[in-house]
Amino acid sequence: MQRWTSQALLLPPRASWQRADLEFEGVEHDGASFVLHVFLNNDSADEATPRTAAEGYAGYLTVFAHGDCWGDAGHCDITEPVSAFDRRPPQPLIPFNATLEVSEALDALPEGTQQFTVTTLAFNKADDSAGVLRFSQLTLLTYA
Amino acid sequence: MTVTARPAANAAPVRLKIRKNIATLSPAELAAFRQAVKQALELNDKRGFEYFAGWHGVPLGWCQHHDLLFLPWHRAYLYWLELALQSQVAGVTLPWWDWSTSRTIPAAYTGADNVLAAGAAIKVFGAEPKAGWPTHTARDPGQEIPQVPGPPYAKEWAYAMQASNYTDFSQRIWTVHDTLHVWVGGTMAQVDWAAYDPLFFAHHANIDRAWRIWQSAHPGANPPADVLGQSLQTDPAMTVRTTLDVRQLGYEYAGAESTVPGSS
Repeated sequence: MQRWTSQALLLPPRASWQRADLEFEGVEHDGASFVLHVFLNNDSADEATPRTAAEGYAGYLTVFAHGDCWGDAGHCDITEPVSAFDRRPPQPLIPFNATLEVSEALDALPEGTQQFTVTTLAFNKADDSAGVLRFSQLTLLTYA
Repeated sequence: MTVTARPAANAAPVRLKIRKNIATLSPAELAAFRQAVKQALELNDKRGFEYFAGWHGVPLGWCQHHDLLFLPWHRAYLYWLELALQSQVAGVTLPWWDWSTSRTIPAAYTGADNVLAAGAAIKVFGAEPKAGWPTHTARDPGQEIPQVPGPPYAKEWAYAMQASNYTDFSQRIWTVHDTLHVWVGGTMAQVDWAAYDPLFFAHHANIDRAWRIWQSAHPGANPPADVLGQSLQTDPAMTVRTTLDVRQLGYEYAGAESTVPGSS
């Protein structure tokens, strides 16, 4: 299991939004498939932590990934278009954004909460403790 | 809903083929489907099952995931494979696995002496095996990563259906799609090999069905305009726009079908 905890994200006043999403940006999917369970304001969450609102549980995301590279050298390198006329489909391993709606989980935080952390517990087949979840940044998006 | 469509503007209406729930196929329908897959597996050319399996991952890698082309590409993929199976056994259609209500892999895809079950040899069309390639299909439902929630995914299905636009629907349905793949484990849990397991197509028929149901509830809610003209990498190619109406692809989904003769 790989645990990761974010820096604090700012939470707008509840009256200012109807829906809230956590956006994991630039998720890499060139390794083994994995699942991540997400907790809010529970930096010590671990595998034994109940997945309940009281524990800050916000939900899960699963990533269907490619697995080991089977091609020749360079096969899985993420390459740029070779010209402005390059109409080939994008390289399949380009990182993507994964979204988890967390409206209910934020509502379960104590009233008046102005910031919160996100802790992810990521699991893959090999039960690795690092390199399971790799992404560039995390954003809270709220919608009025 | 309709049971017929016109394949061209001035053509007579043609009866659509119905994709059915795998749990409700008659013994004869299931036998016909298995026979079509069996015959396609025996063909080592572009009519064969393994040629089509190779589109998704090894060796061709044409599939689209985690983007706006996810649904159109897989609809086109199923369309071409279904035609290939119909060339083997007339009239067969791809059944769907409703994992929004079902807890387990369908019985039709398990058991001994079953062409749809795991354990079959993987033969990559047009390529010599490389070190590390899997030799047989495998599944390990709920065990490979025990922390992956298992079906039924009723809540996830309902959440996807609540989406008010194509982009949100696509993202929500691919999320539960990913979960099912990883829960099944083994071959199905790897993008590059998943389509070698016949179960892949029952899963994706259900994803395609979800899109069809959502489309019915949201007429005109198409992918963004700049996507519609994009060519999908299949053989032959198809545009996103061509995939939008399943009736123009000759099929429809139904929970049940009952027809009696008319008066003439």
